[in-house]
Amino acid sequence: MIRLDHVTKKYGSEIVAVRDATFDVAKGDFVFLVGPSGSGKSTILRLINRQEVADRGDVWVAGRNVNEMPDSRVPYLRRSMGNVFQDYKLLTNKTVFENVAFALEVIGKPRHMIARQVPIVLDLVGLAGKEDRFPNQLSGGEQQRVSIARAFVNRPLILLADEPTGNLDPATGEGIMGLLDEINQTGTTVVMATHDHRVVNAMRRRVIQLDRGVIVRDQERGVYE
Amino acid sequence: MIARIAYAFREMWASFRRNLTLTAAAILTSAIALLLVGTTFLIQRAFENLLVQWRGDVEMIVFVRSDATPEQIALIGDTIKSAPTIIDVEKLQYLDKVQTYEEAKRIFAGDPVTLSLLTPENIPSQYKVVPLTDDPALVRSLSEQYRSLPGVEDVALAEDEFQVISTLSRFVRTVTLVMSLVLLVVAVGLIWNTIRTAMFARRREIEVMKLVGATNWFIRIPFMLEGLLQGLLGAVVSCGGLWVLNSAWNNGVAGFKPGTGISSLVVPSSYLSTVMVVLLVVGAVVGAVGSAIAASRFLDV
Repeated sequence: MIRLDHVTKKYGSEIVAVRDATFDVAKGDFVFLVGPSGSGKSTILRLINRQEVADRGDVWVAGRNVNEMPDSRVPYLRRSMGNVFQDYKLLTNKTVFENVAFALEVIGKPRHMIARQVPIVLDLVGLAGKEDRFPNQLSGGEQQRVSIARAFVNRPLILLADEPTGNLDPATGEGIMGLLDEINQTGTTVVMATHDHRVVNAMRRRVIQLDRGVIVRDQERGVYE
Repeated sequence: MIARIAYAFREMWASFRRNLTLTAAAILTSAIALLLVGTTFLIQRAFENLLVQWRGDVEMIVFVRSDATPEQIALIGDTIKSAPTIIDVEKLQYLDKVQTYEEAKRIFAGDPVTLSLLTPENIPSQYKVVPLTDDPALVRSLSEQYRSLPGVEDVALAEDEFQVISTLSRFVRTVTLVMSLVLLVVAVGLIWNTIRTAMFARRREIEVMKLVGATNWFIRIPFMLEGLLQGLLGAVVSCGGLWVLNSAWNNGVAGFKPGTGISSLVVPSSYLSTVMVVLLVVGAVVGAVGSAIAASRFLDV
């Protein structure tokens, strides 16, 4: 589903964010990218959704070379993946329903389809009955659920999560992890960057560890260390 | 498809209302720029009218020396009348010194120095000649003939006067055109800035849109519509201004005596409508293009 082949990404001429990274993620996998801040976790996610372009090496997503993709194809690549962030990136002037609907609206889905899909996914993430709330009327955990609903409403092949539990207390974070696990069970490939020991150790999934841009460990059913 | 169009218009309207001050500035600037463009068109057309009308009843003017004897003046008149196939004898007009002085007062109204040198005593009198022929060469050869008559000071041909007028009209046209072009650029800049501000205010939204896979065109179109609306509103204002200006001018011109040439500086209302349509199109295009450029810059992520 995702393959990085000797990928190097520099910011400017000095800072090397990712150095010669190679790994494969199969369809339906759940992968943790772990390591301290600045180790290159986020950059790898940004290379996969083509917010960044690799300086060397190739990034493959669903059989397509992302690096060589023309700009005009990038929106279609992104429709096959959902993104979840530490700071949720919700639109504060829109309600819960509108935030999720927005993801379908901007890719041109018809209204009746939006009206059907959004309640289903809000129900899935446990926000039924809170459709008309605004983000500032929700707890952090609830806001993250909205952002997961928005990422998942289009039934993407891949879910990219960048520190999704970073702003949440342990119990709430656990709930979010349960949700991501559930989404993974539907066959969606999940790649999650985190430095949260507890969630990694609790899940016992594949762990790719980064240190200053270099992959130092790639382990099935790993722990954080 | 309908959902997309409805979306684009909703977004355009929301953004339009959010930045009212900047929007008003952009609209006003484009209105002024377009008003100047329109005025250029009208002036150009008016000058053309003027030239056309002069050509219609061409005048050759034979200036008679102020010290010419009455016999000499009569001889000149008879000579002109002696070619009735070339000259329209009916329309031949003689202005004596007093009449010529009255006319000069108007011609040199903007040039008091020249006027102060003239008196009803030293001014030449003049024969105003309307030729029947369309052949300028024939008229010119006649003028050479008249020039050699005793008592004739000079012969002026309207044909030569045209050059002055067309030079003047070209000058006015160039000045207004340059000014309106500069203002148009300013208008594009202001619309560009308004759109950029609007996009900056919504950068979070745009970021999310890009992440969930909205195409650049989908993001760009509401902003382009907003720019188009600004340009179009500017054009509507400028059309109103042009109409007021033109009506005022026409009313003013109606007060002048016919035959002074000024009264011909009037454009037909059909031409005014054409100019207005042009302004509306230019306004819309300028607005859309300005905002498209601004939007594209912002979408480079």
